[in-house]
Amino acid sequence: MSTATTEIQLTRKDFVSDQTVRWCPGCGDYAILAQMQKVMPELGIPKEKIVFVSGIGCSSRFPYYMDTYGVHSIHGRAPTLATGLAVSNPELCIWVITGDGDGLSIGGNHLIHAIRRNVNLNIILFNNRIYGLTKGQYSPTSRQGKVTKSSPMGSIEQPLNPIALALAAEATFVARSIDAHTQHLEETLRRAAEHPGTSFVEIYQNCVIFNPNEWDGLSDRSVRDDNILYLEHGMPMVFGKDRNKGIRLNGFTPEVVELGNGIEEGDLLIHDATSTQLAFILSSMEYPQFPAPMGVIRDVRKPDYVSQLMGQVQTAQAQRGVGDLNKLYRAADLWTVNEREDVAAKVAGELSLDMDEEYVDNLDKADMDATTQVQDQLIESSIADLNPHVPITIDVQSSLERATRQLNLHNIGCLLVTDARDQLVGIFTERDVLMKVAGLVDDLSDAKVADYMTPSPVTIKPDQPIAQALHLMSVHGFRHLPLVDEQGHPTGIISSRDVVAYLNQAVN
Amino acid sequence: MTLESELREEQVSHLGLSGFSKASSGAAVRDVLAQLRAERHNVCLITDANDKLVGIFTDRDVLRRVVNAPETLDAPIDDVMTKAPVTIRPDLSAAAALRAMDENHFRNLPAVDEHGAILGDMTHQSIINFLASRYPVEILNRPPDPERFPRKQEGG
Ligand code: SF4
Repeated sequence: MSTATTEIQLTRKDFVSDQTVRWCPGCGDYAILAQMQKVMPELGIPKEKIVFVSGIGCSSRFPYYMDTYGVHSIHGRAPTLATGLAVSNPELCIWVITGDGDGLSIGGNHLIHAIRRNVNLNIILFNNRIYGLTKGQYSPTSRQGKVTKSSPMGSIEQPLNPIALALAAEATFVARSIDAHTQHLEETLRRAAEHPGTSFVEIYQNCVIFNPNEWDGLSDRSVRDDNILYLEHGMPMVFGKDRNKGIRLNGFTPEVVELGNGIEEGDLLIHDATSTQLAFILSSMEYPQFPAPMGVIRDVRKPDYVSQLMGQVQTAQAQRGVGDLNKLYRAADLWTVNEREDVAAKVAGELSLDMDEEYVDNLDKADMDATTQVQDQLIESSIADLNPHVPITIDVQSSLERATRQLNLHNIGCLLVTDARDQLVGIFTERDVLMKVAGLVDDLSDAKVADYMTPSPVTIKPDQPIAQALHLMSVHGFRHLPLVDEQGHPTGIISSRDVVAYLNQAVN
Repeated sequence: MTLESELREEQVSHLGLSGFSKASSGAAVRDVLAQLRAERHNVCLITDANDKLVGIFTDRDVLRRVVNAPETLDAPIDDVMTKAPVTIRPDLSAAAALRAMDENHFRNLPAVDEHGAILGDMTHQSIINFLASRYPVEILNRPPDPERFPRKQEGG
């Protein structure tokens, strides 16, 4: 999707809304949200030109959490509403967030028609192969034989293949990614945003409560590279952790081959994102019989719906003048409907504040599933167990000269900046020295650390689990995390090295 | 499985290695700084005319040797880099690489293959990223604010 842009400097934070995120802890939606918030500022599109439209379902809460325009619309109708938006304001960058229930059950029809019209939309379908919001019934993508609350003897339905469906609707951009593979997901979302016309992206998403093992083998870092075929246009289809396997065509049928013993890269299929036939072959390759193809499966350019429609409107107006909607409206038979008596509005019941028992059971179960020691440590060990270092602080009024001297004197990479009440107001790191100071500031004694620090840094509390530190470090790329007490006074600091060292040394 | 035993099964090349900038021996410090800023990297690997790795220059070096010594800005990078950095082979186990980092207090270990090609930079962040994608349920998919926790399962 391309929109005229001016130089604007937005950051990830600009896209984080003030709403409490309400997905179950562990839900793959969190990872997708984090990547979307990361990609958004890089598109260079002003916030007021961005809209997220959703239907109903867990994934459809997405618009609340993006600090952009958003519509939490009607079940299955997000593509329809979004089409209307695109027609009325072609300048908008529109994202449709849907799931396998919303987009393929009730909304299946709407989805294929938006796609076949090539409306300038980015349609992101979170596929967890289950109904999450309604608590665990099978969905149109659930595998045959899948035992769920609504299929106690196993689903007897043939599942839909979202990629093949999008291709059948002549999608001009089709891609697949997975929640847990953050770099791949980020890149795929960016490619979708850049494509003019409908971009359709299927994301394999983990519903940790009702279908937690669906993507085993694809999400686990230690095995995924043996099970995913990363597609790159123009490149041979090599895969595997050690890049020693590939896909070869045998007649019309793809087959997995091992490289070596006479089979070379030259024998393999070359990915061509413009080939319709190849796209269908890729869509038919299902894990575990095949590695799951991920990346951009199809990327072709065709005229988009809105520009063609507007072209016709302009032609009509040139020939017959601008129309009058009111006149057209009143040209037909008219009658009056008498006002009805007021129906007393139903008083909505109070929201229950009790924890839902089934939910709590499920959460406990998810925790008990820990299979490796590392997994235990991530949740059971707290930040306090890391023995955080005593922080070196510096007053916010100090000069850069003093700040760099302090860093060198203590041989550390990070200073916590405090105000007169000893509250943490910023963090100043060696990265800041590289990015903003060295060779850029002539007189260090004349410059204040306040102008070069990162203000209001993200902090962590001693009783939070180590997983929280890893979360912040992996999602934001932080190397240091300050600890503060209830009053906001800095009490400690941890680094990525501390976290890794702790996990590496802790035995039993 | 402990982290140690998990990392023993992974080769360095299986980790998501960190990105780096690359500059030639003799380049002015000022230019290397500008390049690092433009490419948003913390580390620059310095190579000779044969593309062989001869030095490493990190944000730590900027702090220690450059920021308080403006005269170095126009000097060649060779004056302020760490020469002949220790490297690892990409097929080394990640556990052994991490041990090498900890024993030597290294924060960066460039991975260089048998042909001298530089594949990436192993850092503690590489391990963090590995863990995040190894345990996405525990690490990636956490509510952004741990103090605002939904009371009910309410996805939609
Ligand atoms: S029910 Fe499943 S999909 Fe819905 S929020 Fe919970 S984990 Fe996510």
